[in-house]
Amino acid sequence: MANSLRLYLACIKNTLEAAMCLQNFPCQEVERHNKPEVELKTSPELLLNPVLICRNEAEKCLIETSINSLRISLKVKQADELENILTKKFLRFLSMRAEAFQVLRRKPVQGYDISFLITNYHCEEMQKQKLIDFIIQFMEDIEKEIRDLKESVNTRGRLVATEFLKQFITNDAIYTEKLNVRHHSSRFSASPSPSLSNFVLRRPGELLQIPAITQLQIENFYGLGNVI
Amino acid sequence: MAVVDVHRFAESITCHAWSPDLSMVALCPNNTEVHIYKSLSQDHWERLHVLQKHDQIVSGIDWSSKSNKIVTVSHDRNSYVWSLEGAEWVPTLVILRLNRAALCVQWSPKENKFAVGSGAKTVCICYYEQENNWWVSKLIRKRHESSVTSVAWHPNNVLLATTSTDGKCRVFSTFIKGVDTKDSKAGSPAETKFGEQILQLDLSYSWAFGVKWSPSGNTLAYVGHSSMIYFVDDVGPSPLAQSVAFRDLPLRDVLFISEKMVIGVGYDSNPMVFAADDTGIWSFIRYIGEKKAASSGSSYSSQFSEAFGKFYGSQSKSTTANDASDSRGGVHDNSITSIVPLGKGGSPKVMRFSTSALCRMSSPDNNHRNECYISTNLK
Repeated sequence: MANSLRLYLACIKNTLEAAMCLQNFPCQEVERHNKPEVELKTSPELLLNPVLICRNEAEKCLIETSINSLRISLKVKQADELENILTKKFLRFLSMRAEAFQVLRRKPVQGYDISFLITNYHCEEMQKQKLIDFIIQFMEDIEKEIRDLKESVNTRGRLVATEFLKQFITNDAIYTEKLNVRHHSSRFSASPSPSLSNFVLRRPGELLQIPAITQLQIENFYGLGNVI
Repeated sequence: MAVVDVHRFAESITCHAWSPDLSMVALCPNNTEVHIYKSLSQDHWERLHVLQKHDQIVSGIDWSSKSNKIVTVSHDRNSYVWSLEGAEWVPTLVILRLNRAALCVQWSPKENKFAVGSGAKTVCICYYEQENNWWVSKLIRKRHESSVTSVAWHPNNVLLATTSTDGKCRVFSTFIKGVDTKDSKAGSPAETKFGEQILQLDLSYSWAFGVKWSPSGNTLAYVGHSSMIYFVDDVGPSPLAQSVAFRDLPLRDVLFISEKMVIGVGYDSNPMVFAADDTGIWSFIRYIGEKKAASSGSSYSSQFSEAFGKFYGSQSKSTTANDASDSRGGVHDNSITSIVPLGKGGSPKVMRFSTSALCRMSSPDNNHRNECYISTNLK
């Protein structure tokens, strides 16, 4: 799997090296203006063929070039709902701070998660190789970041649930495997049947009356042991 | 064998031109001014003049060798002809009648005209009208479908080759009555109208840049953005075209250093040599600055003048990027934008030439210099 990532990034790097041949070009449509032609798209002769590099169905990279600007749009792999939300939020965070990155576009191109816009001015100010290295590093880092974020969300979820359900543990309870506790001690008769649906947080004084459950039961119940 | 002299003048150099005695150089440091530097000694350059008249970046400079005038064109649609009066350069506005930016300029071989290529899909030919003391322009309006990126005069002072971002190279006649009639030689296209297209070459799939005529005017060379260089022999009713594809990144400009040898410069930061063998077939010979070979290092003699510096900035956007990229060889670090011969115009062999490039920003510590360079060639 790591191999396909290497190949994917190598392919993108080679394409970027060829595509990043930009030069200063004044606008043909409006006098005295200088606009990135890849965004304008008014003169088709100034645009080159866009290149789409797909690693698999979920991950792809679109590179559109013109005479003075280059646009790179990435679609990051999102395996499940959680990754979907995390990616969206993380990339939105970055895009909103696009000024700090200089080459980042504030809104991703339709159908993609994040976009870069590199103009000839960036190539004049910054080294082309370093820009390409930055993009490749960014792609590697995003994947790592999303993975870390997901792990930390799951870890936090587990910790929070553990802490929350810890309050239901008392020392002298007898427990069975089943989550529905069948035997009540007389102390608990006033409280409703402690089925799963009744994990209502009561007033602190009544907490002790809620049937206790072992820690193991908590983890089993929430299925937290199964979270990746 | 190449001996290279490197000089730094500015962070980025858009275009440059040499004075007739090669002691001064006019360059645009990627802003609205033109700086003129004079060489006082081997490595020491002093900025003599700053020509400030344009509102936007100066895209083309040419220094005429006989009449010592500088013509500058800019993205602000204006052009000025500067003449040295006393110690100051005095500008004369040229009404180009353009409604878009001007991209390139070149004096004609006799220096009575100059041609300007523009983003308005036109070419302006300007000549001096003695009665009104004024530079007047005539436009070639038809034919171009996109911006004209480069112009080149044929040695006969009438034919003009242009390249454009529509991928075509065209040759026009710029015969102007009153300017060209006086010395019409036999066989010269005296009957052709102004603006008449002699030839259109549709060899390139992509944008065309950097057209040049060979010293005799027999061969035309231009580059296409698809990493190709095109050579056209016997330009006329039955031209013979050859396309040479090369590896690596496209070129931006070419220069004929003799009838059979061409140097191309471009995004590779390393000038390339192309030559025609005895049968007339052109091919790529080598790079000028080899990365590993010590050929250029062996002869660093000190007789060479001017160079433009190179910029050794180390600032990069990514702090975590490891420096896995190999440096493209040669003296320049960034793409080379223009190549200019150092020598009398029209001479059959060019012994030295200079290249200028756009450089990167320097890092905060101030011991970096920006340069563009000049390389001189001993071939």
